[in-house]
Amino acid sequence: MSARPTTPASPKNAKVKSPSPGSPMFGCEHVQLLFGQGQEVMNSSIAHYKMILRGIFDATPIVPQTSTNQEGRPVTSLTSNYLCLQCPTTVSEDDRLKHGTKKSHRFYVDSRSGSLYCQICDDLVWDPTLEELRVRKIGTGSFTIGRKRKHDELFTDSIKEDPRYISSNTTIASCRANGLRGIYNAGATCYQNVVLQSFLHNPLLRNFYLSDGHHSNDCQVPHCLSCAMDDMFQDFYALENTNGYTAANILSGFWISERKAFENLVTTKEQDAHEFFQFLAEELHERTGDGKKPESGSEHSCNCIIHQTFYGKMLTTTTCQNCNGTSNSVQSFLDLSLGLDHLVQKRIRKTGQKKPALTLKECLDEEYIKSDKCEYRCNHCKGTQQARRHTTIKRLPNVLSVQLKRFEYRQGRHDRAASKIDNGVRFPLQLNMLPYTQRVRSRDSRENLELERSCTYDLLSVVVHVGEIETGHYVSYCRVGDQWFKFNDHKVELASLSEVLGAQAYLLFYIIRSLA
Amino acid sequence: MNAATGRAGVVRAHDDAGSMDKLAHSVLDDVLYNIISDLLMKTHREEKTARATTAAIRVEKMASDASESSTPDSKPEVRIETDAAIYEDGKVLLKGNPLKTTPEILCPKCHLPRLLHPTDGKGSKKPDPSIIYCKKHPYIDKPGCDIYGQSWVGPGPGRGKKKKDVEKNTDSPTPEQRPPNVLSFPSATCSKCKRCILVTRLNNHMGSCIGNSGRNASRAAAQKLSNGGSQHDGTPPSSQKATPTPGSRAASPKKRDASDDDEESENSHKKKKHKPAVTKKVIIKTKPTLKKEKVKSLSSLSQEQKANYDNLTSSVDVAPKKVVNKSVSPIKKLKVGNKPPLGSPKPKVKHIREADGESESSGTLSSPPAPH
Repeated sequence: MSARPTTPASPKNAKVKSPSPGSPMFGCEHVQLLFGQGQEVMNSSIAHYKMILRGIFDATPIVPQTSTNQEGRPVTSLTSNYLCLQCPTTVSEDDRLKHGTKKSHRFYVDSRSGSLYCQICDDLVWDPTLEELRVRKIGTGSFTIGRKRKHDELFTDSIKEDPRYISSNTTIASCRANGLRGIYNAGATCYQNVVLQSFLHNPLLRNFYLSDGHHSNDCQVPHCLSCAMDDMFQDFYALENTNGYTAANILSGFWISERKAFENLVTTKEQDAHEFFQFLAEELHERTGDGKKPESGSEHSCNCIIHQTFYGKMLTTTTCQNCNGTSNSVQSFLDLSLGLDHLVQKRIRKTGQKKPALTLKECLDEEYIKSDKCEYRCNHCKGTQQARRHTTIKRLPNVLSVQLKRFEYRQGRHDRAASKIDNGVRFPLQLNMLPYTQRVRSRDSRENLELERSCTYDLLSVVVHVGEIETGHYVSYCRVGDQWFKFNDHKVELASLSEVLGAQAYLLFYIIRSLA
Repeated sequence: MNAATGRAGVVRAHDDAGSMDKLAHSVLDDVLYNIISDLLMKTHREEKTARATTAAIRVEKMASDASESSTPDSKPEVRIETDAAIYEDGKVLLKGNPLKTTPEILCPKCHLPRLLHPTDGKGSKKPDPSIIYCKKHPYIDKPGCDIYGQSWVGPGPGRGKKKKDVEKNTDSPTPEQRPPNVLSFPSATCSKCKRCILVTRLNNHMGSCIGNSGRNASRAAAQKLSNGGSQHDGTPPSSQKATPTPGSRAASPKKRDASDDDEESENSHKKKKHKPAVTKKVIIKTKPTLKKEKVKSLSSLSQEQKANYDNLTSSVDVAPKKVVNKSVSPIKKLKVGNKPPLGSPKPKVKHIREADGESESSGTLSSPPAPH
């Protein structure tokens, strides 16, 4: 069920989700009977369901996982227990029927997922009203829609939310148009294609462009890259075409753009996907943002879609070893670049393995938990001193992009003696960034859960470099819903999870789980 | 403890195993059970919700058909009952378990039946040809094909392929009879020269047409140097973009030079005066007619210039190319910065462009030669 912005139920009287076309009112006849018994029963049922959900998702799992057996002794199970919706009893799967016949209680909540089980149907039931509560609880940690949203609703034109208004003012895209298309390789442009695909399957950017975020019709900028992106999103999500896409506008916008920092990129030769990502981000920032050039290293904030999506802030604290004075500097970042070489060398020395495999966690620990020594000109001591430098993340972005520095350029960028580090780096589907932020865990377990939830990321797309540095090829994997797809230029294939997680990642894009 | 574990029944300890062994086995078994249960629950939710939606769509459709109301959105005042649902007062109430009552799935968007199996590859089934399905099909998992069952003519573009292979590729697809799901590489229009370029060569084309690759790169670099580092990012690129005549012509293929020249000779007399003189340096035989015109127009020039051009033409007529460059050196001093580098890859085109510069400057005699 989609989380439609309905008015939240008043605390006194619970309401059933108002009927919408194409969906039944209740999960089954029996839920209908339960709710039909009157307002009081409905209020208590929904309030109790909420309480059970809080117990499952906000507290330690040991409580819902523990039931009482026939002898009255508590039994804790790893598999699901069932919490009665009509009384505060927890039973194991086998005891459900007994409790039901004794008390005539027919509804239970699964202790691990919070889903509703109807004993008369002998099946799980997905009731629109209760399911919306469950999904919202899992997604945002609260049952009501965030305060900011509510505030917004006061000012938005209510007629625009009306489905009839929407249906009469929009053309409905074909069911085939799903954003899954390849992009043709225009001659060594696979490094662009992989980045474009990861943009195309980024929900934040997609929503921005599909909701007319960039007004292409009014845009006066010649060869505007944001217009080109807009066209591309339209072609991917509104056309039935399953053939590959020709990114001619992006390409010409890229050629025409004269960005000092990316001059090396503009050639007909194969280039670095990470540099193209930076280029695209900065170019789109300039087209959609405040027009200020992003200065690297400064604490630049902007409300453009690129900043809202990708930019975070990190804090570097330098502590003088002589006087213990500290100085802080805040920098905004587009991505986290993680060095591999140092860790690989260290591991080889330590274990003697020829090609040790690393994990993303180790790389992040190295950069954002450990501190390093540096020379530092201390204002207090009036001289150069030894100092400790520690970097943490001050503000996490909505989409966290990570670069694993696989390419080592020993001298210049054009030094052909560049080499590739092809050690495996394992990365998780789910990433907890809390240890790398400044936030500290509190004693309150519920606050901790909230905090952890706000720092949890899900893998969104992976850019992979295969082959040698000079003759290699880029492919990418993107997740759409729960299905992964492999994008190899114009070819789109289904990808298994093990294929994705086993790939030699170069760029990783993680998206925040709850946009709270 | 025993009653609640071992549900998956996959990981089992031996009967004579120690208690720690048994514990480890049952923990593993439980974890496995949970994984399977989570997967099952996810699929169950998707499937049952889709079937319930289908039952609702169907009964709503019947209600709106029965009411004969002209406005489709209004709630018809009828009561309709099917095997799976009841429609009453604008509400849909389920009857029984939709997993049992409703065998198929309708798309909530277009209300057409969903195709439930892929048409090709792994797990495929032949669709019923008499049914119009929703256009969202299950994705195809078949080696050599993409998720839509498409494949492409010839090997992948770009990497490691020689130019002639690509060209062969463009010719072949049209005459051949190939199945509809085998696609060929399309062409795209270059935003600058508006020519149709095969997609696999687009990047290379743009490199020479728009970009600063190849010869243009050196020119752009020189321009930047002369602008003193060019803090104004806008100027050098825009000036290159905005003056299409020298740049674009220089980049256009050699063949078209002759016709270009003819066109321009109509536009300005001054230009055609000098062009042949310099062009002749390289293509001596091709333009005999222009040579005559040159002689005619030379009379209108000042003495100094006449001398120069006499010097130039004579040296060209006699000497072979390499010597030309050397003998021309005095003129080089006069037209500073106009000379192309000796090692220029396409000297012919370069010289023509240079001629333009010279003719323009001499056309407006009052102004000094334009610094290039």
